[in-house]
Amino acid sequence: MATLHVLSHSPFSDSRLTSCLRLLGPGDGLLLTGDAVYALQPHTVQLQALELLPTGIALYALEEDLLARALVAPERAQAVDYPAFVELCGRYQRVNSWL
Amino acid sequence: MSKSMLIISRQAPWAGPAAREALDIALAGGAFDLPLGLLFLDDGVFQLVAGQQPAALQQKDLGANLQALPMFGVEELYVSSRSLAERGLDAAQLVLPAQPLDDTALTLLLDRFDQVVTI
Repeated sequence: MATLHVLSHSPFSDSRLTSCLRLLGPGDGLLLTGDAVYALQPHTVQLQALELLPTGIALYALEEDLLARALVAPERAQAVDYPAFVELCGRYQRVNSWL
Repeated sequence: MSKSMLIISRQAPWAGPAAREALDIALAGGAFDLPLGLLFLDDGVFQLVAGQQPAALQQKDLGANLQALPMFGVEELYVSSRSLAERGLDAAQLVLPAQPLDDTALTLLLDRFDQVVTI
C-alpha cells in the first residue's frame, strides 16, 4: 500500500519536505527531483532528517539534478536516472507529486 | 469502478491560484461522480477560515466553491489537526465540516486512495 512521494522544491525556502516527512508511512518512497535535491546538501538539518528516516523508506534522487548542482548522493540515497524514475512510478501503488 | 483520488490542498487562498485550482479539480471530479477526498494541509487550512473578505483584494470568494463540495458529491473532507493547531485555528470554527486528523491518521488516509495529488 505504498506511496512514492515526489518533491521538486528546495527545502530551504519551502515546507513541502517537512510536511512530506510527517506523512511518510512504512514502505513509502521519497524521490527528490529539481531543487528538492538540495535536501542532500551536506551539513544541513535537511540531510540529517533524511538520514534519520526508517530504513524501510527508500530515498531516491534524480541523477541529472544532482550533477547539475554538484551534489553527490549520500549512502542513504540512491541516485536514479530518468528510466529508473519511470520504473519507480510503476513500482509504487500510487505517486504523490507535491506540486 | 473509477479510481479514487485524494486531493491535498496545502496553499493559502489569496496569494496564488493553487487553492482555487485544487477546489476546481475536486468540483470537476465530483461532477463526474469520481470517488474523491479532499484534505486541507499546511497553509491550505486558511482556506477554511470564516469571514474572509477577498473582495478587498479584487478576488472572488472561495466560500461558494467550498459550500458546493457536498452538493457535487465530495463529502470526504479532512483537515490536518496539526496544521490547525500550528496556526491557532479550531476545527469547530471552519466554514466546512472537515474531519480533523492527526499525522498517523493522515498516513493511513493516503493508503485508502488509488491516487493522490498535492497542490
